[in-house]
Amino acid sequence: MLYTTAMDKAIIVDHLVKNFEVTVKEPGLTGAIKSLFSPKKKQIHALRGVSFTIQTGELIGFIGPNGAGKTTTLKTLSGLLYPTSGFIEVLEHDPWERKPEFLKQISLVMGQKNQLWWDLPAIETFELNKAIYEIPTREYEENLNELTTLLEIKKYVNTPVRKLSLGQRMRMELTASLLHKPKVLFLDEPTIGLDLVAQQKMRDFIYEYNRKYRATIILTSHNMDDLVNLARRVVVIDEGKILFDGALEDLTSRFAKEKIIRATLSSNDNIAEIDKIGKIKKLAFPEVVISVPRSTIAVAASELLQNFAVDDLTIEEVPIEDIIRRVFKGELKK
Amino acid sequence: MSIVQEFTYRLNFIMWKVRNIIQILVFFFLWDAVFSGRNGQIFGYTREQIFTYAFVLIVVRAVVFSVRSNDMAGQISNGELTNLLLKPVNYFKYWITRDAAYKILNIIFGFIEVGGLILILKPNIFFQSNPVYFLTFILSLIVSMFIYFNILAMTSFVPFWVPELAWGAQFLVIAVIVEFLSGASFPIDIFPKSIYQILMLTPFPYLIFAPIKIYLGSFSYLEVFRSLSIGAIWGVILWSISKTVWKKGLKVYEGVGR
Repeated sequence: MLYTTAMDKAIIVDHLVKNFEVTVKEPGLTGAIKSLFSPKKKQIHALRGVSFTIQTGELIGFIGPNGAGKTTTLKTLSGLLYPTSGFIEVLEHDPWERKPEFLKQISLVMGQKNQLWWDLPAIETFELNKAIYEIPTREYEENLNELTTLLEIKKYVNTPVRKLSLGQRMRMELTASLLHKPKVLFLDEPTIGLDLVAQQKMRDFIYEYNRKYRATIILTSHNMDDLVNLARRVVVIDEGKILFDGALEDLTSRFAKEKIIRATLSSNDNIAEIDKIGKIKKLAFPEVVISVPRSTIAVAASELLQNFAVDDLTIEEVPIEDIIRRVFKGELKK
Repeated sequence: MSIVQEFTYRLNFIMWKVRNIIQILVFFFLWDAVFSGRNGQIFGYTREQIFTYAFVLIVVRAVVFSVRSNDMAGQISNGELTNLLLKPVNYFKYWITRDAAYKILNIIFGFIEVGGLILILKPNIFFQSNPVYFLTFILSLIVSMFIYFNILAMTSFVPFWVPELAWGAQFLVIAVIVEFLSGASFPIDIFPKSIYQILMLTPFPYLIFAPIKIYLGSFSYLEVFRSLSIGAIWGVILWSISKTVWKKGLKVYEGVGR
């Protein structure tokens, strides 16, 4: 088939650069006056040459510390920000043109954003979106019914938005953003501020949506469970650059400089000497957990077997959660 | 939708109306005092004409100055604009539609107010019966709404560059310049002739003053034609400026906090 290669790439980003210009203000009134007359401008390099492609139907996780450029990327992909340089194509459109055909196929959901009309019931916003996105009545009824059932908010659609709980409101926001069945979905911290039950509901829903409609989804999150449960592929971004792009499992082998040796000892002779082999993570006789640099793992294991009374020994990778945690702290470097 | 939203803010709306009526009463009593004990004309206006000016002013204000689009600036500086940009709607059309809904509501209330005040104050009011004047009056209102929308839009886009100025820029232009130079506070032909002639080259008199004068029939047909043309030219100029500013502004938009 001729069209497969072009059609299968939902998103293409090539050497994307985005700089912001911000005015630096000194504190206090004199600072304010000074900045009014001679504003000091500072360039912020939010994205420094980001490239990736995403296939139709992929669900990928964007991770990185705060201010790494995740949200900037999503906003540029949805046409809100004008790229300083580089190439972007989403569903064969240039997002910046914000053509109605393009906007009707995407949605950007941000955890802290609200599009719902605060004083009116959510159903009013849904009706408005029906008109804006020109959704045929029948399709609208079906989608609305399906979304509110899946998200368990059916009975609240006539309650004024300001009277809803945060969890209910977030699910209403999601409903409003999905009524037009977008093919590409950008989710920025979709579970932020939700309780555990609500988080799980949200995750189940995202999973279902991706599977059922073959929707392309980019998700950013600081929630470990979101990433481990949903994303098969992750893109690690920090200081506007991509540090890693690949399968979630490969994140460990790429970034973990250590491996973990877990051993069960039959006697506690020389147990104090054990820290010569590696860094002790846990020492509770008969169990010992030490971390050892990858390159010397074989040597360390044999030393352990020779010098101590070992009953059982396993070598493990560092848990994925540890790596992701280090990603969030910005500790990973290329 | 907009109308529903307006009604949710019933109290706000009523307060705004009350303020409107007070403005009119101030205008009325001020000129009543000026004319008391005097006959004939002051600044070229008879008592009847100045009161008609006041009453037509209520309706013209309701048509021209009642807008929702003064939320534009705030929306840009707090990042709420993001919501709108993500949707397949034309930004200008969106605001024109919201304004239209608001205007319809205000015009209805404007007529109720006028009716009420006429009953209470029982002034001598002049009703324009000449169809040429009446139709050109309607036309001049359309021009006026268009000019006002673009003035609002232009000043609303300032926060793209200076987010803290969301309110200041608009206040200066709308509350000070427009209010004084448009004829909303007093007919501007009470200014000395040279100043008046200069003012007539600016877009402001075409907001309030020109439509009222056309309604009152105090412009000759030639003056009506000239005023409509200058107004329309200004409309086009301001429209292209606000479009350009909008496009430039979007490029520096950061969508903060959202």
